[in-house]
This record gives sequence, structure tokens and C-alpha cells, in this order.
Amino acid sequence: MTVRILVVDDHPVVRHGLRTLLGGHPEWEIVDEAADGLEAIDKADRLKPDVVVLDITMPNMSGLEACRRIRKSVPASEILVVTQHDSPHMMREALEAGARGYVVKSNAARDLLAAVEAVSEHRPFTALNGQPNSTHGGKQ
Amino acid sequence: MKLRILIADDHEVVRRGLCALLQAHEGWEICAEATDGRQAIEMAAQLKPDVIILDVGMPNLNGLAATRQLTQHDPQCKVIVLTITDSDQVIREALDAGARGFVLKSDAARDLVSAVEALQRNRMFFTPRVNDMVLAGFLDKGYNGSGKEPPRLPKLTTREREVIQLLAEGKSSKEVACVLSLSTKTAETHRSNIMRKLGFHSIRDLVVYAVKNNIIQVQVPSHFHDPVEGSVA
Repeated sequence: MTVRILVVDDHPVVRHGLRTLLGGHPEWEIVDEAADGLEAIDKADRLKPDVVVLDITMPNMSGLEACRRIRKSVPASEILVVTQHDSPHMMREALEAGARGYVVKSNAARDLLAAVEAVSEHRPFTALNGQPNSTHGGKQ
Repeated sequence: MKLRILIADDHEVVRRGLCALLQAHEGWEICAEATDGRQAIEMAAQLKPDVIILDVGMPNLNGLAATRQLTQHDPQCKVIVLTITDSDQVIREALDAGARGFVLKSDAARDLVSAVEALQRNRMFFTPRVNDMVLAGFLDKGYNGSGKEPPRLPKLTTREREVIQLLAEGKSSKEVACVLSLSTKTAETHRSNIMRKLGFHSIRDLVVYAVKNNIIQVQVPSHFHDPVEGSVA
């Protein structure tokens, strides 16, 4: 079954990169992109994606706030945070906000596909830089 | 013949995005990808790319220091600096280092192709803010290299700038020596000279200096900001 993905990041070049990384999977479809938290909430409401790939540090509304709101308005959508913050504190905040997965941007090429696969099956996936087995230890 | 482009960014997801953006342009090819400034310099020496695109915030050797070394070695070298901020300090450093293009990462999807096209035609490409600064520099003889503005930073050698970044990233003198292929004693001498020139007494002073002068970049967790407003990456 096709996994429908919404990609959210304020930098178009990063969205391009995420599209390239995710686009190689035959059963995944990028349904749309958003450039900030407000746009992400709006598009998640309308499109009801299976997975929202969500940056944290964005203008207008941060990814954490968007994560909380999307979890309330579209509980079926799973959220995978993809961020530059290689921090256990930030990871905990993201999980408390309702994210199912957490990947550090510098490791996106290594972790992104496995993370999307996991969260699309409602399994958690978390990995910090240099600690691929930390906390939830990747795939569970 | 294809235009050969070298890109350097420590984030693979950004490199993927840059590749997708640039390879869509007919007649251009990515000849190599580097993950830090040092690797970019090595690859540039081997491959002689037509255009080099360097992120500013990279580990080991940042994009501005790499630009400086590349243009010192080859003044005709065409470098585009890719940055998350167009602060006066970064603009001044980039121009001083010899960059011919300056593109904000947030605008890369819109501006990067235009920037490469400009350099391909032996022209320069800057954001409107950089153009304003350059123009202001010519009008008031400020930062146009007239030599009348007093230098803001103490005169540091290229090697000392490299050492500052590595020390500020938390490396010991021994590790610095290893990265730069020096003896530990030489690395310690560089460290002493830097501390003396800058009037510093601790590594903490050095780290603050490195952050203030964009030699290293520090992630600011978003919980330091209003959670609704967020901050710019």
C-alpha cells in the first residue's frame, strides 16, 4: 500500500534533498511540501498523509508546536521529526509533543528510509548522531 | 563541454537537494561532493572544478576559511558561498576571502542556478543585501578594500584560523596536530600564538570568539525561543 508523505522544512533545498532520498522508494508518494508549521497543519488537515516528515526550527511556527497540533487534528498521521538538533533533550521534547520518530539531519541519508518505514507502520524510530542505538535503538 | 561543479556541505540531505537542483540544468554536472572545507580543497586540487559551492558552517574547516585557501592558491577560482545568514560579518568575510557568489540557503532553490550561471559568464552573484553593502562600501570607502577602515580582527595566518576552528570544536592540541599533519609541539605553538594575539587566557574565550566571528556555528535549540515563533535554522 502506498505511504503518503508530507515533507515540511523551511529550506527548499532541504525539501529537494528529502524528496530525492524518499523518491527512490516505489511505494512512497510525496503528496505535498510545506515551508513552516502553519502550512504543515493546514496541509496535514486537508491531505491526511500517513507520515509527516517535520523539521523543528522553522519560521512562523516551530515544528514542535505543529507536531502537537497535527497530533490533535489528524491523529492517524504519524510524525517523523528530521532536525539539525542532535540533542537528547530535544528528542524528548519531540516525543512528548507526539512525534513517533526522530532523526538528525546529518544522518538523514543513513536513517531516513528506515525511520519512515518504521513510523508508517506505527513503530517508533529514534537515532541521535553517533548513538544509533540510543533510547529506542532505531527500529523496534 | 559540461560545466563541472563541486559542492561541499556536511549534511547529505542538503547535498542531495543541491545535486537535484543543479543536475536538472542541462550542461552541468556535479563532479564531486565534499563534507567539509578540507575535503573540498583536496578535491578541488585534484579535479579542478569550474565552480565550487561551499556551505559556510562545516566542521574541521568552515566554508569561509576554505574559500580563502582556494582563492589564495588560485585567484581565478570561482567560489559560491552558501550561508544561512547574510549578516554583515559573514558578508565581509566572504568578500574578503574572495567568494564570487553569495547565496542564502533559504533562497538556494531560487538563486543558486542564477548564481552558477553568473559565474559561468565570469560575473559575480550576490544577494540584494550584499550588493547594498558593496555599494555602500564604494560610496563611503568603507568595506571595499580601500584600506582606510581599521581592521576589525587581529591579523591571523591561514593556519591559525584553521587551528582556532579545531580548538573551538573541542579538539586537543594533539588532535589538532593529527588533523593538520603537524607535530604536537607545532600545534601548541600555534595555540600559544593565537592566545597571545587575541589576548585570551582560556579556551572559553576562544570558543566565544569563534562563535562571534562565524568560525564555528552553534545550534540554538528552539526551546530558547518562543515555541510558536520559532527561529531561523
